[in-house]
Amino acid sequence: MRTALPPLLWRELESLFFSPLAYIVLTIFLLLNGVSFGVALQVGNGAVTDTLAYFLGSGHLFWVVLLIWPTLVTMRLVAEERRSGTLEMVLTAPVRDGEVVLAKYLGAMVFQAFLWAPTLTYIVIIRRYGALPDPGQLFTAYLGIASVTSLLTAAGLLFSTLTDNQIVAAVLSLVFNVLAFALPASAPLLGLPWLEQVAAAISMQEHFVGSFSRGILDTGVLTFYAAGTAVLLIVSTRSLEARRWR
Amino acid sequence: MSEAIRIEHLVRRFHDLVAVDDVSFDVHAGEVFGFLGPNGAGKSTTIRILTGFLPATSGRAEIFGHDVARDSLAARRLIGYLPENVPLPLDARVDEYLEFRARLKGVATRERGGRRDKVVAQCGLETMRRRILGQLSRGYRQRVGLADALIADPPLLVLDEPTGGLDPGQRQEVLDLVGRLKGERTVLFSSHVLAEVEQISSRVAIIQHGRLLAVGSKQELEEAEGRQGQVAVSAGPDSSALLAWLDGHGHLAEIAGEGVVHVRLPAEGRPAGLLAELVAAGLPVDRFEPLTRSLHEIFLELTRTPVPASAVAANGSSA
Repeated sequence: MRTALPPLLWRELESLFFSPLAYIVLTIFLLLNGVSFGVALQVGNGAVTDTLAYFLGSGHLFWVVLLIWPTLVTMRLVAEERRSGTLEMVLTAPVRDGEVVLAKYLGAMVFQAFLWAPTLTYIVIIRRYGALPDPGQLFTAYLGIASVTSLLTAAGLLFSTLTDNQIVAAVLSLVFNVLAFALPASAPLLGLPWLEQVAAAISMQEHFVGSFSRGILDTGVLTFYAAGTAVLLIVSTRSLEARRWR
Repeated sequence: MSEAIRIEHLVRRFHDLVAVDDVSFDVHAGEVFGFLGPNGAGKSTTIRILTGFLPATSGRAEIFGHDVARDSLAARRLIGYLPENVPLPLDARVDEYLEFRARLKGVATRERGGRRDKVVAQCGLETMRRRILGQLSRGYRQRVGLADALIADPPLLVLDEPTGGLDPGQRQEVLDLVGRLKGERTVLFSSHVLAEVEQISSRVAIIQHGRLLAVGSKQELEEAEGRQGQVAVSAGPDSSALLAWLDGHGHLAEIAGEGVVHVRLPAEGRPAGLLAELVAAGLPVDRFEPLTRSLHEIFLELTRTPVPASAVAANGSSA
């Protein structure tokens, strides 16, 4: 079966990487992460494991970056193409709606991998000071970042298919991300034990505390993110098809 | 004759607005078909249904036998589509964009270079290949859109207002290009400018307020909608003898100019019969011309016909 995925993905990467905005985003991203890493070094106070756990798990700036970035990268993906009309050019070519959604998702993921990659240099910096980070902890920390980013990117993509205004898409996406982060954390306030259990199971913070930041691979947690991403991508495809009802 | 496009009872509503209202027509393979109507008549909506961008509310449409809703991918493979306003990604270069579109449409790797060279030459883009799309003039962007429509060598071209926003010289270039494609492939093109349609299309459909008003060749439309049964006659500089004869034989006639009389033929009457009678009566007939109306007059008259309020409301939609 012929697939239009490679050219679609290539086109996505071109428009993500060949725009000046990409490099402004990258600069701000590195700035924030640099500050975050500086704070992490102080918090860790020489203990590499604690520094890493803060920098790639429990730090405030880490979460700010993790929650905002998928929104910034995805907000224009479909909304802007709908507004400018190029979506019509793409969807009237012999391509499936699902291929368009998948290409946009993969493009956004590759771009965000590119944003996170420079943080690996911080690991090199830590090593220069003699302390050796635990490779397992490093691996699961980045896996955690990839998992959360994947889920929020798929969500951002869905919101981008709902409107032709990228600001509206960004606001919806950001509200979703903040609620997904904050609601499980505030569940204990209600004092319902079962609700607390549910909240802990879907809490991104808990996933980092219990698994990703500690070098522990939890297949249940990974399945949660994989399934969540898949469902959101399918809903995005349906939403793209739903242009028919507008 | 095989049909490139078959549209049956197509309806498209946007909420309570009827943008396309029970439209049916066929486009024969190999013909250049003009889709004519004032702005907002429902042309773009019909075209978007054909190209799979919008589904119909009811009714159906086929591209070379492939249903546009149920067999959308197969139908889309056969169409080269130029949307109105030619939306292009502004950051890509002409060559890169055409390469992307060729890949998207599944043109084989080894054929892509050749296809690209061919459409670039066809559309007069040789000097623009390295230019960024966002920097191109309206006329060149239109050409890039056309080159894109042609790149996969589709048997059917669907061009939505291909001359919109162009100056007269550019319009003529686009029309010449479409004219050169005649016979090679089927072309459906929409326009609100009658002269363009008249110039290059073999058949036309006229649509207004979402409703199809007429379909056929120019000749068929003129015969169907023309001033049937009237003939302009002159018999010498003085028309009094002619008028007297016509009056005496029960023909309705009126003076239309110096020496020229318009004669209404009796129902079922043939012009040749009247001519034979006039000659037999010894009148010096030096002009005898059945009257027709130009497509222009037909178009104006059809599109001026008052329509029900419900259809007028539909005209306000983004048809």
